[in-house]
Amino acid sequence: MHAEVRSHIAFYLTEKQALAEAADAPPLGLRPALLARYRDLARLRYDYPVALLREAAAPAAFAPLGALVARAVERAAAAADDPARYAAPALALELELRTLAARGTPAPLATLADAAAGRLARGADAPTAEMLDRLRRALAIDAELVECDAALPARLVTHLWQSVQQRKAAAFRDVIDRLVLKLGEILQADRARSAAARTPEALRAAMGTVDRDAFDFEAMAQLLARLPERGALSSSRRQRIEATLAVLAAQRFFPASGVEPYAFRFADCADALAAFRERLPEMAKLARAVAVARLEIEGEYSEPRHDALFERILGAAPDLRALELFPHYLVCVDARALRARGHDALMELLAGALPVKVLVQSDDILEETLAGTGQVAFGAHARQLTSMAMGMNEVFVLQAAASHLVRAGERLQLAMEYSGPALVSVFSGACAHADGVPPYLYAAAAMESRAFPAFAFEPVAGPDRAAQFSLAGNPQEARDWPVHRLDYEDAEHQGVSEEVAFTLADFVACDRRYANHFERVPRAHWGAPLAPLAQCLDRQAKDLPEKLPCLLMVDDANRLHKVMVDERLVRETRRCRDFWRSLRALGARRERDAARAGVRDAQPPAAAQAPSAMEAPPAAPETAAPATERPAGDPYIETARCSSCDECIQVNNRMFAYDENKQARIVDPNAGTYRQLVEAAESCQVAIIHPGKPRNPGEPGLEGLLRRAEPFQ
Amino acid sequence: MTLSATECLLQLAEERHALEEYQSGVPRWCTGCGDHAILAAVQRLCRDEGLRPEKTVFVSGIGCSSRFPHYMRTYGFHGIHGRALPIAEGVRMARPDLTVFVNTGDGDCCSIGAAHWIHAVRYNMDITVFLHDNQIYGLTKMQASPTSPRGLKSNTTPRGAYLEALQPLTVTLGVQNVSFVAQAADWIPESLYEIVKAAYRHRGFSFVRIVQRCPEWLPKQWDPWLHDPKRILLLAHAQGLRPGPELARAYPNQIEHDPSNLDRAREIASDADLIPVGILYCNPDVPCYEDLQLGTRLRTVDYVRAGLEAELDKFTVWPQ
Ligand SMILES: Cc1ncc(C[n+]2csc(CCOP(=O)(O)OP(=O)(O)O)c2C)c(N)n1
Ligand code: SF4
Ligand SMILES: [Mg+2]
Repeated sequence: MHAEVRSHIAFYLTEKQALAEAADAPPLGLRPALLARYRDLARLRYDYPVALLREAAAPAAFAPLGALVARAVERAAAAADDPARYAAPALALELELRTLAARGTPAPLATLADAAAGRLARGADAPTAEMLDRLRRALAIDAELVECDAALPARLVTHLWQSVQQRKAAAFRDVIDRLVLKLGEILQADRARSAAARTPEALRAAMGTVDRDAFDFEAMAQLLARLPERGALSSSRRQRIEATLAVLAAQRFFPASGVEPYAFRFADCADALAAFRERLPEMAKLARAVAVARLEIEGEYSEPRHDALFERILGAAPDLRALELFPHYLVCVDARALRARGHDALMELLAGALPVKVLVQSDDILEETLAGTGQVAFGAHARQLTSMAMGMNEVFVLQAAASHLVRAGERLQLAMEYSGPALVSVFSGACAHADGVPPYLYAAAAMESRAFPAFAFEPVAGPDRAAQFSLAGNPQEARDWPVHRLDYEDAEHQGVSEEVAFTLADFVACDRRYANHFERVPRAHWGAPLAPLAQCLDRQAKDLPEKLPCLLMVDDANRLHKVMVDERLVRETRRCRDFWRSLRALGARRERDAARAGVRDAQPPAAAQAPSAMEAPPAAPETAAPATERPAGDPYIETARCSSCDECIQVNNRMFAYDENKQARIVDPNAGTYRQLVEAAESCQVAIIHPGKPRNPGEPGLEGLLRRAEPFQ
Repeated sequence: MTLSATECLLQLAEERHALEEYQSGVPRWCTGCGDHAILAAVQRLCRDEGLRPEKTVFVSGIGCSSRFPHYMRTYGFHGIHGRALPIAEGVRMARPDLTVFVNTGDGDCCSIGAAHWIHAVRYNMDITVFLHDNQIYGLTKMQASPTSPRGLKSNTTPRGAYLEALQPLTVTLGVQNVSFVAQAADWIPESLYEIVKAAYRHRGFSFVRIVQRCPEWLPKQWDPWLHDPKRILLLAHAQGLRPGPELARAYPNQIEHDPSNLDRAREIASDADLIPVGILYCNPDVPCYEDLQLGTRLRTVDYVRAGLEAELDKFTVWPQ
């Protein structure tokens, strides 16, 4: 064995920590080769910066800048212009906007568009300047442009939460306003009926000014005074309505203007919990007021029945389903702070199914790793939180790296709209230890490497785990690692194309704290038995490797390097892959079930089509036919076909009577003569009366009657 | 958005009524008149659907059939000849919480009220309309109506009606925004009830033509159909109604008809020989006028006053 190979094996097995002190291992100064092309993000079109839209009518709460520029081109070019002409100025404008947004603080889109278009227009020819001006105007949308940085997750989630809250507030206000209006009308009507409203002065005041003098209000008042006072509100009802109105006016959940609203945004779970508890009595009071108002308006409030009932309700804890009307709380916490303070309050919020949305933001998912053992662990804390929450069954759980948040927007919206608690776990990518990789790219790398996969758990999406859990959105979901083509030039300037997987180790390689787990392989040693890490994972840890696992990385000048990975990191990469596989198993079951359900849907069972309004119950109709139940010779009516025409009833209403559906039947055949039976049969419009045999053989004229009865037997 | 607690409380207060409790007074219709059957079916509907008498209103015009509201212990409006529909529309706009039914005769709807009829179909308000079509003016003692068949001798057509009858179904099916059209016969109570129920449950303008016998003035008019059940054509469909076995035995002539097929509905309705019974057309997606027209703004007293003031200010003449 060559000496250099032996030294590589020594590194593989022992890592540099054993050889040198880990703390001062020099930074690698490399980035994964697959990230080589993404150096200056401002020159690329991707999901950021994102515009947080503030117009209430906007179809979504946010949109990537790229999409807005595309829409602006459409709008600006709409007036018979050629949209293709707009491509160049629009892209220039977008680039300018990206550069401005990347530079710093979030700003209104319109302001940035003005600045960018103004700058480009200087020195541009007249047609271009005009196009820029149109684009600028098309971009004058009420929105804020924000970059993917440490502040982004809380900003975006808060923005979405707010837009959902606003909609809710509008609906809530509508409910309350309507109740207030109707209750007010009850009082107003009562006032109009009162003696006070019948005085000459009141009558005069109620009349318009023009014809006032044409009326004698004294006489009118005298006339009205003679009317009895009827239908006045009882004092208890009046008091109840007034008290209800007072509660509706003073409530601070979504209050009318002038009343200070409660705060629903918190930076700490315990504070949110305390606020919720403190407001419970107020919530119960308001819920009761709404219920009382509804009953009063419907005229359904009955004191003997409802007074006691409401006493009891006020004492009991409110029904959680009733909370849907109320605002939801939002808590944005930093994962590290949460860990320091403990999970108790968070767990209580979630387990209590309280109306709360919690954003847990992690800036560093490799942080917890070095817990003394020197082990590299990835996203352990987030995993612990989300699996706990999923175990509670009623919590909407969403996990995503910041880079994925825009794509996950719809799900995020669902989480905000969900009636119960939601936990949103986001990796921001804004890690202090990432070696020159911007937050967006770092967050994307975490998701790409399966270190922080995106997933959603929607409790209402189906009856079981498999239907509720989704991994949608992860890159190349079916594979262990996403694989991408890497094209480069070798030392002889020959083009080489390679399929390269992006693994956990690639992600870890961006973090300068773990430089000691990597070692560059000098170009002279590239002949040594090296293999891509992804291919080395199935080997037993204890075996001496035939080939040493390595990664392809690049330096600042985009020169290719091979970097060896030590055995500990290989082990961790394997764990990451296994964890991903187990997640996928959940998702796969879901797909399988969906496929099976699809087959079922294609062939609905015959029974599903059959029942309908006119279908009689399937009990054997032949045997149930009335004829067989009745002694032969008894008179009868096919009641179901009776058209309620009154003919038979007119003949004899003791013999014939209506049933509960107002259809005739023979209640007492002995209450009349055979003649009456025959006459009824003859006058029946639908000929459904069957006279049977005569009961009294002595009845006069039987022979003729029997002949007349013939057609109805 | 509702508070579930209120729902429970309202449920608690819910009351059920027996069929007789929807009955008011004694109908003055002739014995044997088809209107009795319609009344029975509608009362059954009220009972089975739990309609609250104080939340239900029957509106009618003038005619024998238009006496209907008198016999219902609900709210009612016995209107003026031909104007049942506009009155019902007004009720619907002012009191969207009420369930509105209209009973109208062939004279009331298709003659003097024809203009209102066309527009009511187009407005598609949530109203259930029963056209009691006995092909005659009953109340005024036998004058020809627009639906009287050609050749019918009456007090106004002693030599027989000169014109072909107007077909209420094809007219309704030809109007823009039509959303529900069905036909029933008063003497087939099982299907009459089911059709009345489907019409009530449809949200929109549900138009049910009920072929109604007038034994007083046209006693033999429907005999050919009464005596030959094969001339009744039952319309069956999974999306419509499906006749039960008893009914199917009594009326063996049955076809599959998809109520979303408007062209086919028009064809079926044009058949002069058979009486199709069932749902001819149903489209739940046609928007209701009240949904389109009602603003989202709450009409508070102040809001209405401000609007009126603004309008009136346009005509103010300020002193120089
Ligand atoms: C404006 C006006 N014109 C004429 C009449 C007279 N009139 C009363 S009922 C009626 C016809 C009713 O026929 P129809 O609507 O078919 O009701 P039916 O009696 O047949 O149920 C007429 C013309 C009237 N009441 N008002
Ligand atoms: S006249 Fe005709 S429509 Fe009028 S009540 Fe008598 S049978 Fe019925
Ligand atoms: Mg008539």
